[in-house]
Amino acid sequence: MRIIDTLLKVDRRIIYLILAVVVILPLLLPSPQKVRVMPPVEKLFWAVDTIHEEKVLIMDFDYEPQTQPELEPMGLAILRHAFKKRIKVLVLSLYVQPLGLAKSAQDRITDEYNREAKTNADSIIYGRDYVFLGWQPPPLVPMLGMGESITEVYKSDYYGNKTDTLPLMKKIKNYNDAELLISLSGSSIPVSWVAYAQNRFGIRIGAGCTAVSASDFYPYLQTGQFTGLIVGMKGAAEYEEMLEAKLNVHKKRKASESLPSITYAHLVMIAFIIIGNIGYFVQRRRR
Amino acid sequence: MNLSTEPWIWIGAFLSLSIFSFLYKDNPFYKFAEHVFVGVANGYAVTFYWHRILVPALFDPLFGQGKLLYIIPFVVGALYFTRFIPKVSWLVRIPIGISIGYYTGASIPAGIQANIIKQIQGTVLTPENFKAWHAGEMGIVWSIILFIGVLCTLSYFYFSKEQKGVLKVSSRIGIIFIMIGFGAAFGYTVMARISLLIGRLQFLLGPWLGVIR
Repeated sequence: MRIIDTLLKVDRRIIYLILAVVVILPLLLPSPQKVRVMPPVEKLFWAVDTIHEEKVLIMDFDYEPQTQPELEPMGLAILRHAFKKRIKVLVLSLYVQPLGLAKSAQDRITDEYNREAKTNADSIIYGRDYVFLGWQPPPLVPMLGMGESITEVYKSDYYGNKTDTLPLMKKIKNYNDAELLISLSGSSIPVSWVAYAQNRFGIRIGAGCTAVSASDFYPYLQTGQFTGLIVGMKGAAEYEEMLEAKLNVHKKRKASESLPSITYAHLVMIAFIIIGNIGYFVQRRRR
Repeated sequence: MNLSTEPWIWIGAFLSLSIFSFLYKDNPFYKFAEHVFVGVANGYAVTFYWHRILVPALFDPLFGQGKLLYIIPFVVGALYFTRFIPKVSWLVRIPIGISIGYYTGASIPAGIQANIIKQIQGTVLTPENFKAWHAGEMGIVWSIILFIGVLCTLSYFYFSKEQKGVLKVSSRIGIIFIMIGFGAAFGYTVMARISLLIGRLQFLLGPWLGVIR
């Protein structure tokens, strides 16, 4: 009983310290974990993989620094997938803060490919293979406006170029030229894409969300409104696994490297919850 | 160990550690980092709005190219500032009314279609919905569980009649579904928060300290 009393009085800072140690150790001493790919991620992977040559993938990067660790690995993996398959990509953000993170993700992946490229055709070239449309507020304007004309909504891209002068945009008019739109967001933006872009124009929507919002998003997957869904770091690790297994893309797997830390942290949390509950029932019986 | 020589990495590391210091107790470093974050985020947003929206989409066409029609959005937008003049502060209702009207008109039909009609369709027991689970024959079972769960949960929130008899049974089953939902949401929340911690630690141990690749 004394142990229970002591455990119930443990300073919260000790708990933080235990969690920090449990998370840091697996990062310092990596031990690869097998990643089991679940159907929601698999569906999204194949939806990207089977995009037709003449169609584009639209990617909405809407994560901010506070959700970056969960959503950025998804963005990197999907960009790697698209560029590997030579799928044309249009990137946009509906809010200001994600713009810098979206640019950084594109720069990183294009550098990765261009370092290995031997010819111009192998390279990933801005304007030919992808375009960063940037930001156009309020969110409703691009969501509805791109159904009519993308270049009318985004008259200039993130870098200030006139979009209608870019080679890729000469072939792309509106959602009819896009096969899939993937929204990576820590908020309810993917549902807004469904409500406005999918309902009205019929474009397929895929989503990448933080684990916190997962339970809100699963109903949209079950109804088929989402073509696929990536949830949190675990989902990103599943996409990385698919990329490596199916397309032989061997790059840094940031999300997969984090899985041991997540697993051990969860085990510690479960232990804390069990100890807390035992303590509660023991104290209640004493009263 | 391969410490970074990049000043921005050091600033990022200092601000991250300052925020983490709140876990010990509130302190000036935490307050400093918090204020820097709020200030930088707002400054960034205001600058972007000015250079990417107000100047190219309003001021340039109106004052540079003389497109007089742009005077309408200019005046309507400017009415937001009447809030600071007590005598005419009522004028702020005009832009607010326009915004509410626009967004309500756009969102009601879209919201009903995406969040109500499609979700009801997804609950109906049809072969298409059985397949959506990707669980083979078990798809029927999951669809039935979903069907029961939705009805029972809705009955829990039916307050126009005293919950006794059949309604009591269904609402009790509804509570079980709600609790399972809360449990799943809590589990996911733990995963999300740990992921954020991992993200910061990867930054501190990687680009800053150079301990991990």
